[in-house]
Amino acid sequence: MQENAVKSFLGNCQESIPLFFLANVSFAYLIAGSPLFAEQIQFNRDVRPILSENCLACHGFDHAKREAGLRLDTREGALATLDSGHVAVQPGKPDTSELVRRILLKEDDDECMPPASSVKKLSDKQRQILQTWIEQGAEYEKHWSFIPPVKAELPVRTNELNAEHANPIDWFVHAKLVQNGLTPSKEADPTTLIRRLSLDITGLPPTIPEVDAFVANWAINANDAYNDLADRLLRSPSYGERWGRWWLDQARYADSNGYSVDSPRQIWKYRDWVIDALNRDMPFDQFTIEQLAGDLLPGATEQQKIATGFHRNTQINQEGGIDVEQFRIDSIFDRVATTGTVFLGLSVGCAQCHDHKFDPILQKEYYQLFAFFNNQEEPTLTVYPPELNAADLIAEKKQLDKVIRDVMAKMDSAIETWEAELTEEQRMELPKETQKILSGDKKKKRTAPQKEILYAEGIGATDVDFKKTRDRIRQIDTMLEQGVNTLVMKELAQPRKTTVFVQGDFTRPSEEVTCSTPSVLHSLDKTKSNLNRLDLAQWIVSPANPLTSRVIVNRVWQNYFGRGLVESENDFGMQGALPTHPELLDWLAVEFIEQGRSLKALHKLIVTSNTYRQSSIDRPELREKDRENTFLGKQRRLRLDAEIVRDVGLSASGLLSSKMGGAPVYPPIPDGVMNQGQVKREWKVSTGEDRYRRGLYTFLYRATPPPSLNVFDAPEGNSSCTRRIRSNTPLQALTLLNDAAFFEFAKALEKIIEHNGIEVAFQRCTSRTPRADEIEILGKLDRLSAARVLLNLDETVTRE
Amino acid sequence: MNYEQFLQEQTRRHFFRQCGVGVGAMALADLVASSANADPSGNPLAPKPPHFPPRAKRVIYLFMAGGPSQLDMFDHKPALNRLNGQPIPPSYLEGKRFAFMDSSHRINLLGTRRTFDQYGQSGAWVSDLLPYTSKIVDELTFIRTCKTDLFNHAPAKLFMNTGTGQFGRPSMGSWLTYGLGSECKDLPGFVVLQSGPRGPRGGAVLWGSGMLPSTYQGVPLRNRGEPILNLTTPESISESQQVQVIDAVGRLNSKRLADTGDDEIATRINAYEMAYRMQSSAPDLMNTADESAETLDLYGIKDPKEVSFARNCLLARRLVERGVRFVQLYHTNWDHHGGATENLEEHLPSICREIDRSCAGLVLDLKRRGLLKDTIVVWGGEFGRTPMGEVRESTGRNHHIDAFTMWFAGGGFKPGTIYGETDEFGFGPVDHSVHVRDIHATLLHQLGLHHERLSVRSQGLDFKLTGVVPASVVNEVLM
Repeated sequence: MQENAVKSFLGNCQESIPLFFLANVSFAYLIAGSPLFAEQIQFNRDVRPILSENCLACHGFDHAKREAGLRLDTREGALATLDSGHVAVQPGKPDTSELVRRILLKEDDDECMPPASSVKKLSDKQRQILQTWIEQGAEYEKHWSFIPPVKAELPVRTNELNAEHANPIDWFVHAKLVQNGLTPSKEADPTTLIRRLSLDITGLPPTIPEVDAFVANWAINANDAYNDLADRLLRSPSYGERWGRWWLDQARYADSNGYSVDSPRQIWKYRDWVIDALNRDMPFDQFTIEQLAGDLLPGATEQQKIATGFHRNTQINQEGGIDVEQFRIDSIFDRVATTGTVFLGLSVGCAQCHDHKFDPILQKEYYQLFAFFNNQEEPTLTVYPPELNAADLIAEKKQLDKVIRDVMAKMDSAIETWEAELTEEQRMELPKETQKILSGDKKKKRTAPQKEILYAEGIGATDVDFKKTRDRIRQIDTMLEQGVNTLVMKELAQPRKTTVFVQGDFTRPSEEVTCSTPSVLHSLDKTKSNLNRLDLAQWIVSPANPLTSRVIVNRVWQNYFGRGLVESENDFGMQGALPTHPELLDWLAVEFIEQGRSLKALHKLIVTSNTYRQSSIDRPELREKDRENTFLGKQRRLRLDAEIVRDVGLSASGLLSSKMGGAPVYPPIPDGVMNQGQVKREWKVSTGEDRYRRGLYTFLYRATPPPSLNVFDAPEGNSSCTRRIRSNTPLQALTLLNDAAFFEFAKALEKIIEHNGIEVAFQRCTSRTPRADEIEILGKLDRLSAARVLLNLDETVTRE
Repeated sequence: MNYEQFLQEQTRRHFFRQCGVGVGAMALADLVASSANADPSGNPLAPKPPHFPPRAKRVIYLFMAGGPSQLDMFDHKPALNRLNGQPIPPSYLEGKRFAFMDSSHRINLLGTRRTFDQYGQSGAWVSDLLPYTSKIVDELTFIRTCKTDLFNHAPAKLFMNTGTGQFGRPSMGSWLTYGLGSECKDLPGFVVLQSGPRGPRGGAVLWGSGMLPSTYQGVPLRNRGEPILNLTTPESISESQQVQVIDAVGRLNSKRLADTGDDEIATRINAYEMAYRMQSSAPDLMNTADESAETLDLYGIKDPKEVSFARNCLLARRLVERGVRFVQLYHTNWDHHGGATENLEEHLPSICREIDRSCAGLVLDLKRRGLLKDTIVVWGGEFGRTPMGEVRESTGRNHHIDAFTMWFAGGGFKPGTIYGETDEFGFGPVDHSVHVRDIHATLLHQLGLHHERLSVRSQGLDFKLTGVVPASVVNEVLM
């Protein structure tokens, strides 16, 4: 089931006041309806969500849409005397504040705010909060995510938190649980833990010997066993595959051009670069710089150029009759939006047509960001195997080509003479290809290679040097055929002019702009002239950036708990959710930087926490008081990602290929899928081990995505995906039951049942041994049916 | 509450009994959460109340993919024939952009070869290409001043379906099933049917669910092979084996539900039930043997086994009869630029013959079965075509976004209505321009949904089908 739509802090309905709010604000008010708060109102926590939800669309940052000259996004604006003579907010004087008068009017009153036509409505509580805030002085705070994170003091460790291996995460989480009258869940059992950890870090279930070894080590020293396991899994190359896919979602990776024609493209070198970079634990700042601007680094390596494929994952419209410039601009819009979403957690794309309504980003600033991406060519790079020494070969070939050309330059008349003197008999003895060239009567139009053939077969037959040269060229050609194309970025020598586009319409250019970054965030080094993508990348990874480390830490956290500490993982702006554990988020963000932006260190920190190691089994106490698990009183059962559903099936049935990287593959898909799009695409089913590769290597056509991945919510690469929805549908059931690929897994698992018994098969699917009542149900079935049942179990496609 | 109690609280219902397959009692069915449960996770497609009382419950959307030429079918413009071959006055073209701008900047008006006449009480103009449609004009509501923003096929189709040319937004059918759920327990709530020489440009994103869960995405019902992907039990597996497998999966999942208390397992049990029901209900749906010869004739179906737009129209009726919320038919190819295989002389008449009788037949069939009053039928493409001609091997027209014709029937649309007037060449509206977002707002309104309220929060914003620019319900075309 999908997450509930992100609710603003106070929500709209009376029932849904989050518990942490209850804990922080006086109960007296809530119960008795008294306007007085025992505690100070906090603007960011209490007031901003109300203004943002209900007021700022018309009284906010976007000056074009501002009504009555009133802006409530700044204190100056709220306190200003309006043209009407009114003052919206008079600190300490709610009774004379126009804002208070307006929000208290009856709904049908024309002056009531928000107006009835807006569909917005304030609750009584929200009205009270605004009044109290004004009474207390109407102080504003900078939006929380624009203030750089600092490590708060760790909460006091309470007695209940007695586990010796608790880490700082647990201190924060536990403090919040206690505050809300909740207790953590007990630790999950070792079998569950190894399955959880293996699936989370590598995307593969543990093997039975791995489970057995871990359980044995656990009995000796649970904590050491667990730490060793985490280290081993993080060293496994499968880690790069599992977390590579996490990044490829954000990079909107796919293997085709998209739109309607959707031709295949080659950009899998970028996919392999991501996997490799993660496996080498490339620091996240370097990871960012190479992807945004690897080509601009001094002495950029081939790998650094491949990394710039990040922003070549935009779609290309190959439809007839298009205006190419329009779609070039569209791809830049996508790059700006993706950069904002992925690295800043901000919906900067909103400022494409107008000043952002909610976040302080001007339309002009949007186009200043746009300018960084408006200055590229979009070339294809051919990548050769490193051992080939392609540069030398290409140089050699160039030289040899010249030798051939020089020889051939003097041969035209000699060839003609030879040809004229050929007898029919001699002609028939020549190779077929040569005869074909001779039979054509377009002598004048013969190509250079055709002439070479005639020379080599005729008068040049004894020219040993010529033959040697040609053979070497052919040899080099064959070697160079190993080259693989990949899409990359390249900066133009002369920058393009960038202007603001009125309403985001590229046919309506207005004010000219140059590269810059939004002024609400940390400043850019403007002493440099000719700013380019590298400057943007360095600005993003700057330690002064309040957003990126929080955003990334949150997005990693989200994968482990099913939800981020900030639920709106792609919006840390004013409309986004507030962090449930702000101090923890900031502590992790700072720690991440202090640990050299090592993602592996971050993973280790999270997975070794008690919070992560809790059982996911629901408890009545939690169901009652914290149904959404906001306070992390337990782990959560999470349905596996689409690719991992496949990987688990392959692994359980013993079919999984461990081959890494390389060109995408074509596992069996249902007939007729590929003619759903405008152009029917070939899908030649891979043979050998390529039939059984991990899900992330399946060829991804954007217009006709692989059904078994699509049905489990794999993104199609049309736009950046920062969180996968987890739906739960009948089509998923049909896939697991009837899809040819899953049926093939079932038949392989049937063999395992035959040779090793049902318990082993059960364990291969769920990592645990079955209970007697479970065996009883399975025992009534034939082996193939039992295998199919195992692959269809909720538990098999879930990490618990 | 412990889990035993929790499970006991679930309503008791036996789906296998309902679907009429003799499987016998199954323990799991007792455990399954139904829509009666307060937690909506039991079935994300359970019917939900609309915002206000609706006029319509379901939609059949006949999508004429490629952009039909309104000027040769509905929008009668004698001036075009009078001035055939002469350039359109430059004032029409200032600041306009067209497809194929670079290569085919053609400005000469093209008269129609068709003959037009007025029909019915409403006196609607229809050309000789549509003899059957002309007989039912008094059932239809024509809007001749439809307006869209994008003039290339894939982006324009996306725009017509999702309200934006950007990717990652939910399509109309997804919005409706998200907003209203589905009244069909054994078929998806949003079904897509295709006919014509190729799939529609744009592919699966046209019926995608964007930021909504994939539960709400359109399910293509295929004309060849199994109607829904993976619907068929593997060949070597018998019916009773399949039932045993589903039964055992349900039993074991129920045990896990009891062990873990995770509602998602209840949802999954539900999903397996529905999957099983679909295995028999979808083939039933596709089997039209129970349709009379007279009905087949009404749609112009010669061979009910043959894939055709006509057969899809019949299937659409069978789908809405079963409670499916949104049925979308794509028929290609209407892209008549004037090439050897896509011209107005030969190919427009031919595709009109493919659709005319069945569109009319569908409306009449829905009406006589009492379904038309709460089913909306929508007819239209992603844009229309220019008054100026394109001359390639033959003649055709370019893509045009300023004014084109769509028609609507049933579901509270005012029958026999002609709305919106275009200028003498049919280039732009002289009154009542109806933007795509107004069409969306109007359709949602008929289904009892307020277009400003039907929203989903993503990236801190409330996304809506009608987007950020204000949209209005076109009340003038409604009863």
